Amino acid sequence: MLVLERATYRYPGTTRWALPPISLEVGAGRVVGVRGPNESGKTTLCLVASGLAPVAIGGELRGRVLIDGRPTVELRTHELAQRCGLLFDNPAAQLSGLHRTVEEEVAFGPCNLGLPPAEVAERTEEALRLLRIEDLAGRDPGRLSGGEVQLVALAGLVALRPAHLALDEPVSRLDPERSARVAGAIERLAAAGVGVLVTEHDEGFLARLCDTVLDLGDGR
Amino acid sequence: MPAGGHPHPLLAASPGTTGPVTRLALAASGAGLSLAWGGWVAIAVVVGSAVLALAMGRARRLALAGLGLLPVALSSLAVNALLPAGGGGVTAALDALTRLLALTLPMTLLFAITPVADLLADLEARGLDRRVVFVLGAALAAVPGMQERAVGVIEAQRARGLDTEGSWPRRARGLLPLVGPLVIGSLVEIEERALALEVRAFAAPGRRTVLRRFPEGRWQRPARWALAGLLAGGVAARVALQLAGVPAPAWVRPW
Repeated sequence: MLVLERATYRYPGTTRWALPPISLEVGAGRVVGVRGPNESGKTTLCLVASGLAPVAIGGELRGRVLIDGRPTVELRTHELAQRCGLLFDNPAAQLSGLHRTVEEEVAFGPCNLGLPPAEVAERTEEALRLLRIEDLAGRDPGRLSGGEVQLVALAGLVALRPAHLALDEPVSRLDPERSARVAGAIERLAAAGVGVLVTEHDEGFLARLCDTVLDLGDGR
Repeated sequence: MPAGGHPHPLLAASPGTTGPVTRLALAASGAGLSLAWGGWVAIAVVVGSAVLALAMGRARRLALAGLGLLPVALSSLAVNALLPAGGGGVTAALDALTRLLALTLPMTLLFAITPVADLLADLEARGLDRRVVFVLGAALAAVPGMQERAVGVIEAQRARGLDTEGSWPRRARGLLPLVGPLVIGSLVEIEERALALEVRAFAAPGRRTVLRRFPEGRWQRPARWALAGLLAGGVAARVALQLAGVPAPAWVRPW
C-alpha cells in the first residue's frame, strides 16, 4: 500500500510549497488518477509518492509518505526503486542511453541490483511480455517512436518488480493510438497486482483507467 | 535457458575473436609508443592501422579521419617550414604529422570496429566502477544528443524569425540566441538523467551484473600484459633518454 498523509513538499532553495497538502492511498492492483492544470503539482506529487523527493533531490517534506508501512524518508534510493517506480513525463530522459538493444535497456535496473544473469534475463522477458513489447527486444532504443519509448521506459521500471508505480503524465506526448497502447499496459500491470498512481490532463484517459480520480486544483 | 539449449539472447556471448579491451590495449599501446618515439615507430603504427582497416573494410573511415587532420598538417608545415621563428623545418612538421596520425588512426579504427557499449561492458566486467562507465558512456552519447538538440533549437529560433543563413557575420550573430537554450536544455537533461538513474537503482551497493560476455582466448590476457609492458617500458625509456639529453637512436629516425 502506498499512503500519503497530508503530504506537502517544497523544493530545495524555494519558499513556496509546490504540492498542496494531499492524502491518498494506492492499494495493490488499484489505479488512482490525479488531474490538475499545469503547475498544480502533478510532477511533484509523483516525485513525493516515489520517495525521490526528498530522498534524492532534497527539499522539505511535511506529512508522511509510506510505502508498505515504511516512511520513504527512511529508505535509500535503490530501495525506493524496488518499491515504487517513477515514470517521467519525458520518457526519453529515462533511458540510460548506454545500450544497443531494448532488452539490454530493460535489463539495466536488474543488473544494477547485481542479480544473477539468469534472473535478470527472466525479469527482462517478463517485463517485455507484460507490456507486450517482445517484438521490440532487439531494436535500438534510440530509434523508437514516442509511444514505444514510453513502453520501454515503463518496462525498465517493471523489471525492478516494484509493488507500486507513479506515472507522470504518461500519455501527454502521445497520439490516441499510442495512448491506448499505454493504457492497455497500465491495465495489465494493475491486473498483475501493481498499485498505480497516474497524473494526467486527459480526463478520458483517467476515466477509462482509474478506480478513483482526485483533483489537485490549481495548486496555489 | 530456453528449450533447445540456446542461451537467452541477453546472455549469449558476443561474436568475434578479440575482446574490446584487448583491442583497446593494442590501439592505446600503438598510439602511446608513437607519441613517445615518433619516427619509424609512428610510421609503423600508421601503416599497421591502414592494413588492418583495409582487411576489415574500414579504410574509408580511416581515410576520413586522416583527411580531418589536413588543416593541422598544413598549419604545422607552415609554422615549421615557412616561418623563420618556427623551428624544426619540414622534418619536424613531418614528424609531428606522423605522430598525430599514429595517435588518431588506431583509435579511429578501434571505435570503427568496436561499439562503445561493448567496450564499456568489457571494462566494467573487468572491474571498472559503474559510475566511471556511466560518465564515459554518457559523455560519448552526449555528442549526437547535443547535435539533435541544436537542430531542434535552430528550427525553433528560425520559426520565430531568426536569420541563421547568409553571410558569415550574419550566421555568427544568429548563433548567439542558440547558445542559451542549448546549454540550459542540456543542463536540465543532465538533471533528469541523474534522477532517472536513481529510479533504475543505479546507486545500489555491490557489483552490477554484466550480461555480455566477450571472447577471451588463452592468448588475450598475456597479450594485454605484454602490450601494457611494452607501452610502459617504451615510454619510460624515451623519458629517460630525454632526461639524459641523449637523442633518439638513429634507427628510430627516418629523417
